Amino acid sequence: MEANALDQALMVVGTVMIVWGAVSDLIGALGMLRFPNFFVRLHAATVGTIWGAFVPLIGVSLFAAGYEGLGFYRWFMAGGALVTAFLLLLLAPVGSHALARAAYRSRAAEVKPKVVDFLEEFVKKVMGGENDRA
Amino acid sequence: MRLGRYLQAFSLVALAVLLAVALTYKGLGDLPNPAVRDLALWYLYTTLNPEVPNMTVMSPEAVTAIVWDYRGLDTLFETMVFFLAIVGALAIMRGITLNEGGEGLHIERYGLSLITKTATKLLVPLIIGVSASIALHGHLTPGGGFQGGSAAAVAPLLVLVIFSTYYVVFKLRLSELSMISLRTLGLMGIYMTSFATLILGLVIGVNAYIFQNMPKANAFIGLPPALGGSLISGTLFFFNLFEFFAVAAGFTLVFILLSIPEVKAREVLKGEEHGH
Repeated sequence: MEANALDQALMVVGTVMIVWGAVSDLIGALGMLRFPNFFVRLHAATVGTIWGAFVPLIGVSLFAAGYEGLGFYRWFMAGGALVTAFLLLLLAPVGSHALARAAYRSRAAEVKPKVVDFLEEFVKKVMGGENDRA
Repeated sequence: MRLGRYLQAFSLVALAVLLAVALTYKGLGDLPNPAVRDLALWYLYTTLNPEVPNMTVMSPEAVTAIVWDYRGLDTLFETMVFFLAIVGALAIMRGITLNEGGEGLHIERYGLSLITKTATKLLVPLIIGVSASIALHGHLTPGGGFQGGSAAAVAPLLVLVIFSTYYVVFKLRLSELSMISLRTLGLMGIYMTSFATLILGLVIGVNAYIFQNMPKANAFIGLPPALGGSLISGTLFFFNLFEFFAVAAGFTLVFILLSIPEVKAREVLKGEEHGH
């Protein structure tokens, strides 16, 4: 009976995570449409990849592990989902990093409206200062 | 502006409704003759069935069995089409090469940031591993040589973009020539595999066909369905293996050609104009 309770808990937690992922994807999509510039839209996109893909994949993994109806193959599904989630967690930030860096350095995307841009200030202070002194 | 948006929304909805109507009412046309369905059943019945020794392919993956055995000649010509497309790309880009001028180049300065490079270093072995499994298990699970080769070509493509073309050509030594050689070796392997049973038959002195895999009613010879206890389905494993190399090398070759800087290409084109 205890194993059954554990399975049920896994399935409930998994379902919650999958639903949470769907909600996050919706929020991310709204952000993609409504946010004013490239960098905040990129933030919305990463909400979609981490909360909207990593979290539900973990949910799928837990659900599969708790769903006895799948038989022995549930461990394949759980493992596959877990590995995919891990890779996504590792690689999605790298992708958004590359995008943001390229957009900033090529000045393809203007930071507007801008509250604060520490990188710009840093570049001005350090590089600009050096140039002035030279 | 507003009207345009309404028109966009309307046309999307109209497309969805029309597609639904079309698919519901005979959108797929008349259904084929029910007698055709027996063909599918026959493939499923014979694909891995030692009880019908002259019909079976000894592969549980019916798609690969159809692609490389039941209609294998068709696939051979598809491979030829891809091969000729690569030859066409090579002919257009002739003379444009990166094969020299790698000395004194600070290769590590090219490419994207350290974070991206590190992640790519982690990812590339994974891509190669997964694509090799897609190709080498092509006769057991969905996949095959072409699919595995295309997946494998993603690894050099990533390196091209993230580490730069110079890194691929001068550091990894994946030059155009080596890719052409690898591709040619893969194609030679495919030829050898398609002639394997025929040559075996000629040596032993029995009837055999080109592209034959398992024994047939009037040609009792065939390649072994299993090797060392694991299923290889005769020619299917070798076709997938060689196609994997041919396709991966072919795509990598095209990616390298496409990533050569425009300046280099212009040099060659200008040279031609001036009669050099």
